[in-house]
Amino acid sequence: MSKSQFTAIQTNSTARGFCLTSAFWMVIATLAGLTAATELIAPDISGNVSWLVFGRVRPIHVNLVLFGFVTPGLLAAAFYFLPRLLRTELYSEKLGIAAVALWNVAIAAGIIALAAGHSQGREYAELIWPVDVLLVITFALLFWNLIMTVRRRQEPILYVSVWYACAAVILTGVTYCLGNVVWKPDSGALVGIPDAILLWFYGHNIFGLLLTPLSIAVAYYVIPTAIRRPLYSHTLSLIGFWSLLVVYSHIGTHHLLQVPVPTWLKVVAIVDSIAMVIPVMVFLINIWYTAKGSLGEVHADIGAKFVFTGTIMYFVVSIQGSIMALPQVQRVTHFNNWVVGHAHVGVLGFAGMIALGGLYFILPRITGKPLYSRFLADLQYWFVFLGTIGFTTVLTIVGLIQGNAWLNGEMIYRVLPELQIYYIMRAAVGLTVFVSALIGLYNIVRTLYFNPGEAA
Amino acid sequence: MSLRMTPGAVVIGSLAILAAVVFVVVFWPYASTDYTPSEIYRARSSVEDGGRAIYIANGCVYCHSQSIRAFDWDLGSERIAQAGDYVADRPILLGSERTGVDLSQEGGEHPDDWHLAHFINPRYTRPNSIMPRFAFLGDDKIHLLTRYVQSLGLKQADHRMARQVYWKQEAIKAYEAGPVANVKWLAEHVPPGWRNLANPYPTTAAGLARGHKIYQEFCIGCHGPIGDGMGPAQPYIYPPPLNFTILQGREISGGILYYQIMNGITGTAMPYFKRELESQKIWEVGNYVAVYFINQSDAGAEPKGIPSAWEP
Repeated sequence: MSKSQFTAIQTNSTARGFCLTSAFWMVIATLAGLTAATELIAPDISGNVSWLVFGRVRPIHVNLVLFGFVTPGLLAAAFYFLPRLLRTELYSEKLGIAAVALWNVAIAAGIIALAAGHSQGREYAELIWPVDVLLVITFALLFWNLIMTVRRRQEPILYVSVWYACAAVILTGVTYCLGNVVWKPDSGALVGIPDAILLWFYGHNIFGLLLTPLSIAVAYYVIPTAIRRPLYSHTLSLIGFWSLLVVYSHIGTHHLLQVPVPTWLKVVAIVDSIAMVIPVMVFLINIWYTAKGSLGEVHADIGAKFVFTGTIMYFVVSIQGSIMALPQVQRVTHFNNWVVGHAHVGVLGFAGMIALGGLYFILPRITGKPLYSRFLADLQYWFVFLGTIGFTTVLTIVGLIQGNAWLNGEMIYRVLPELQIYYIMRAAVGLTVFVSALIGLYNIVRTLYFNPGEAA
Repeated sequence: MSLRMTPGAVVIGSLAILAAVVFVVVFWPYASTDYTPSEIYRARSSVEDGGRAIYIANGCVYCHSQSIRAFDWDLGSERIAQAGDYVADRPILLGSERTGVDLSQEGGEHPDDWHLAHFINPRYTRPNSIMPRFAFLGDDKIHLLTRYVQSLGLKQADHRMARQVYWKQEAIKAYEAGPVANVKWLAEHVPPGWRNLANPYPTTAAGLARGHKIYQEFCIGCHGPIGDGMGPAQPYIYPPPLNFTILQGREISGGILYYQIMNGITGTAMPYFKRELESQKIWEVGNYVAVYFINQSDAGAEPKGIPSAWEP
C-alpha cells in the first residue's frame, strides 16, 4: 500500500461522530439483547409493558447492532482512512457531520417506532418507511462525500480499502431501497413467496454488501498500517473484491431451502454458498500472509489485535455458513438457535470486532494522544472475545438440542424446559458483552474529550 | 496486474454486478411467480387482517414460523406448505426461528376462550411456555389477534373452527346440566373399548413422580395444583376446567382418562396431547390424577393380560 505522508491538519469530525455513534448505540443494542435474553428465562418479567415485549425488543436489538453499533463503527474508520489513502482532505466534514446527525436521528426514530409497535415485520427490514427514506438519504450523502473525496485525490492509485468502502456504501444504498420495497410505503413488502425471496436477498446482503466489505476495508487498512508492511498481493485483492460482489450477493435464498421457492434458485444458492470459500479465503490468505511474521506488532496494537481476531472469526463464520447451506445440514440447524449462534460469530465476532478495532486504531491517531486506557480496551477485547465464544458455544448446543429433538418428533413444549439452563448461560454471556459496551463507551469518550495523556 | 481500479470501474462495475444479480435471483423469480391459490386458500376478512397487523406490530414472527416442512412432526405438520398458501400475504410471515410452535394450521386447534387465557398469560394454558404476556393489548386487540390466529390454515381452519363452535355448544349444554350429567356426557363420547380399559401400568412411587412432573408441565394451568379445576386459566374458560375431585365412584377408568388426555375434548379448552406425550406419559399422568385427585385408581387391576416384563 502507499504510505501516505499527508500531514495537513484534518479535523476528522465525521470519523469522531461515527466513533461516538457506534460506542453509544453498542450500549443500547447490547442492553436490548440482554433484555430479550432475560425474557426467554423469565417471560413474565416484561409484565404488562408493551414496549418490553420480546417481539419488539428483539428487532430493536438486531437493528441497533447492525445500524447503530457495527456500521457506524466501520464507517468511522472509513472516514478516517479514506482521506489518508487518497492524500487529500475529506470532501466535506460538514456534509459528513450532517450525515452522522441524520443517521442518529433515523436510528433513534426507527427504534422508538419499533418500541411503539410500528414495524414492517420483515427481518432486517423492520424500520418503517420514513426511517428508510432518512437512511437512504444518509447513504447518498455518505457516498457523495466519499466519491468526491476520491475525485479530489492526489494519490493516483486507489488502494483496496477504498474500493470496498465506496462499493459498500453505494450498493447498500441500492439494496436497502429494494429490500425495504420503498415504492410501497404502507407495507414495505411484496406479496407471497417473492417477498421472501426479496427479503432474504436483502437480509443476506446486509452482511454481504455492507458489513463484510466495510470490515474487509478496515482490515486491509489497519493490518498493513499497524505492522508497517505492504499488502501481500494486489492480485488477490482484485480477485477477492470482484468474487465477493458476484458470489456473496446472489445466495440469500439459502435461507429458504425448506420453503416452496423455485428449485433452480435453491440450487444456485447452495452451490454458490460453497463457492463463498473463494472470496473468503482469497481475502484471508492476503491479510494473513501480510501479517505473517509480524503477529507481535499486531498484538501490540489494540486496534490491530481486534481486527486480526475479527479476521479469524470471519474464517469461522464463513466456513460454517457454507456448510449450513447444505440441505442435509439445514434439516438440523434451520429454525433454531444454531443460526442465532452463527449470527453472533458473524456480527459480533467478525464485523463487530473489526468495527471496535477500527475505532481503537484511529482514536489515538485522531487525538494525537494514546488511548485513555489501553487496559480498558484490552478488557473490552477479552469480554467481546469470550462473549463471542460463549454465544457460539451455548447457542450451537441449544440449536443441536432443538433441531435433533424436532427431527425425532419431540414437540416444542417438551423441548423448552431442556433449554432453560442454556438460556441462562446465554444471558450471562450477554451481560458480559453489555458490560464491555459500557467500558468501551467510557474509554472512547474519555479518549476523545477528557484525556489527560501526553500528546504523542 | 494491468487491471486499473479507477473510481468508475469500482462504482459502475459494482452496480453492474448488482443489477445482473437482482435481475436473475430477484426479478426473474418474481416475474415468473405462479400466484394460483392453493386448495386451502380463501381471502382473509378485514377483522383477520386487523389481527395480522397486531401480529406484525408485536413481533410474533420472531418466535412463530408459518412454514411447514416435509419432515416436521409438530403442530400443523399434516400439511406441507405450498406457494399457493401465501398468495395474499404482504409481507409473508415465514419466520426464521421456532422458539414457539409453527402457526400455519393453528386456526381451530383451540376454542377462542383458550386463546384469551393464553394471551392474558401464556403460562395459564401452557405452563412450559416462555411467550410474553399480551394482556396489555386489551380486550379489543386480543379479540382481533384471536380472529387472525383462528384463521391460520384458511379453509382448513374454518373447518376446524366450525367443529369447535358446534362442540362448544354441546359441552356448555352438558356442563349446565350439572356435574352428574356432565361427567356422563364426557364418558359417553369415549369409545367403549377405552371405557372398559384399566390403566395397564401398576401404581408405583416412581410412576406417580413422573405423572406429577407431566401434570405440572401440561395440566396445572387449568386444573390447578389440587385438581379442582381452579387453575389460573379458570376465570377465562367456559365451560370451566373439570374438577377431578368429584369423579370418585363415577366409573372413570384409566382408559377414559387416557383417551380424554390423548384426544382432548374439542369445543372445550382441553387440548389433545397425543403430539406432545407418548403412551407411557399419558398413562402415568392419568394415574397421578386418579390416585391423588379422584382418590380411586384402577392401575394394574385384573384382568390385564400378561404383565409387562419390567413390572415390579
